[in-house]
Amino acid sequence: MNKCYVTYNSLITPLGNSPAENLLSLKKGISGIQMFDGQGFAGESLPLAKIASLRENERFSSLLTSACEALRGQADAKMLSSSKTLLILSTTKADLSVFPGDTFQSAENILAEKLKLAHSPLIISNACISGVVAINTAADYIHASLYDQVIVLGIDVLSPFITYGFQSLFALSDEAARPFDKQRKGISLGEACGCVIVSRTRPETAGYTVMHLGGSSSNDANHISGPSRTGEGLVRSVRRTLERTAIPRSEIDFVSAHGTGTLFNDEMESIAFQRLEMDHIALNSFKGTVGHTLGAAGIIETIFSMFSMEENLLFQSQGFAETGTSCPLNIITENRSFEVNTVLKTASGFGGGNASLILQKI
Amino acid sequence: MMELISYCRVLPEGISVNGAKVYAPDSTESWQKDLYTALGLNYPKFHKMDNLSKCAVLGFEAMKQEGAPFADFGDDEIALIFANSASSRDTDERFTESYEKIAHPSPSLFVYTLPNIVMGEMSILNKWYGENVFFIRKTFDAAMFTEQISIYLSKGNKACFCGWIDHTSEGTDCFLFLVRAGAGHLSPEQLNTYYKQYRNE
Amino acid sequence: MSELKENLKAQIITQLNLEDLTVSDIQDDMLLFGPELGLDSIDALEFIVLLEQQYGIKISNPAEGKEIFTSINTLAAFIERERA
Repeated sequence: MNKCYVTYNSLITPLGNSPAENLLSLKKGISGIQMFDGQGFAGESLPLAKIASLRENERFSSLLTSACEALRGQADAKMLSSSKTLLILSTTKADLSVFPGDTFQSAENILAEKLKLAHSPLIISNACISGVVAINTAADYIHASLYDQVIVLGIDVLSPFITYGFQSLFALSDEAARPFDKQRKGISLGEACGCVIVSRTRPETAGYTVMHLGGSSSNDANHISGPSRTGEGLVRSVRRTLERTAIPRSEIDFVSAHGTGTLFNDEMESIAFQRLEMDHIALNSFKGTVGHTLGAAGIIETIFSMFSMEENLLFQSQGFAETGTSCPLNIITENRSFEVNTVLKTASGFGGGNASLILQKI
Repeated sequence: MMELISYCRVLPEGISVNGAKVYAPDSTESWQKDLYTALGLNYPKFHKMDNLSKCAVLGFEAMKQEGAPFADFGDDEIALIFANSASSRDTDERFTESYEKIAHPSPSLFVYTLPNIVMGEMSILNKWYGENVFFIRKTFDAAMFTEQISIYLSKGNKACFCGWIDHTSEGTDCFLFLVRAGAGHLSPEQLNTYYKQYRNE
Repeated sequence: MSELKENLKAQIITQLNLEDLTVSDIQDDMLLFGPELGLDSIDALEFIVLLEQQYGIKISNPAEGKEIFTSINTLAAFIERERA
């Protein structure tokens, strides 16, 4: 089994502007989701997880700039510019404020200016599984000995384009998302930027580090925007990840699921986890707390899972009160102490994609 | 080690497989529809797809007809590695227009405002449950593709079906190729040669 | 009523990109979500857009749409009722 190391770095979400702030918010059970007026296509109020400090019309550039500055402050300058360092950017739409201009170019310009990287960033745009796929891709590059460290940065910001799009699918809830709950009505959109550094050796600098044991992806082969009724893609991805890591199910202490809060997604996941015989493992979704952050989700939720490992603390799956899926899952209903050594992170997304990865304490 | 077993170009001028032109449309205006008919395809969903997916379906069908051995592989043994430079920009423009100019955001356009949907369409068409990844790169990056193919083959995949598909107002650039684990070798330089080949046709 | 039905068929073909079809391919009582047309859940959502754009009728919950979109007959009947 090939393992490598993952260390969290900058993290800016509606819960806080640093990992420490985010952790404190999670411990306090604070929700990042609030109602905002005039957000919908017909001017409706919508629950969103917004980062208050971002300047309107510059949400993406100001968020990415802040994240880069935080990364620069906490990472070795020589490492950043080393030819053995790669940066992978995970994002679904990048900077829509420059649309119809090149939204990804805008991101590359900021990264080039702020970070002085040796190589142009590799961009992964794979819908909502981008973040998990990006971390797995980083691990792949480490195992192939192509780089010594890979910075994985996930980011997406709120915009009318995305809000109206999800509205047209009737996928947005008019109240804060309630993943896996009986009364769930849909997604609460969010925005965030999170960064982890995946490395071949354990970093010498301070920062919490765990091992990435392996991961995989799999397509549902069913529908481009609706999940498979049998959860086939998610089941196959998790099975493949378990095979690759040689980790038995019994060793997994916590599952950070995708849990968007829609009827179909959460139902699919419950079926998948039951088929995987993982329905008894402590499980949550972070999307009832911080919304669905799209291209950032896989990264920030991996970081939140690392907090669980660091603190031996399981975080409540906010918005959940009563089981609303045909296969009941072991949903975490309040923050509680628990020894978290091994974590399974999963993600599912448009295009029928599913991805998973396993982290373990060193 | 890896070997390239089939490659294809899909352009408004026509489709070439393994360097030989196999289909040409009646006109360049409705070239995708013409090629769909010429290939004898019977897949009504095609007409609802975005341009990236249409190019992929046309190219895949042509490769299959010219003998590309997709059927040799199990339903999750082919990894899909796709990339482009413009993401889903053409559909993004149509979607934006639907709510800015026409009156209502269109759900059937919104679902295609992500470039990776093309891999979803290929997976649905073939019932492939394999691994997928979509990259955004400025230009066709042969080194990135060969690195990724090597990685996916070493992880246990038996083949990689790869695509570079850009479709914007400036034109269409679609290059698909199938690589199998094997004794052969495929260097970025060789791959680049196949990619550039259409310019000499 | 029959003009409304013919218009609906044409509008559906355009809105849903049903390229291979003509108005005469869609019978009034044909199940729109049956095997012939191959429509899916996204198409159902486009129907909702069509109703709003072409007829000014707003449907706030896709589940309501299921009965209405059964066939051209049920769709036309619904529109006539809403217009009255």
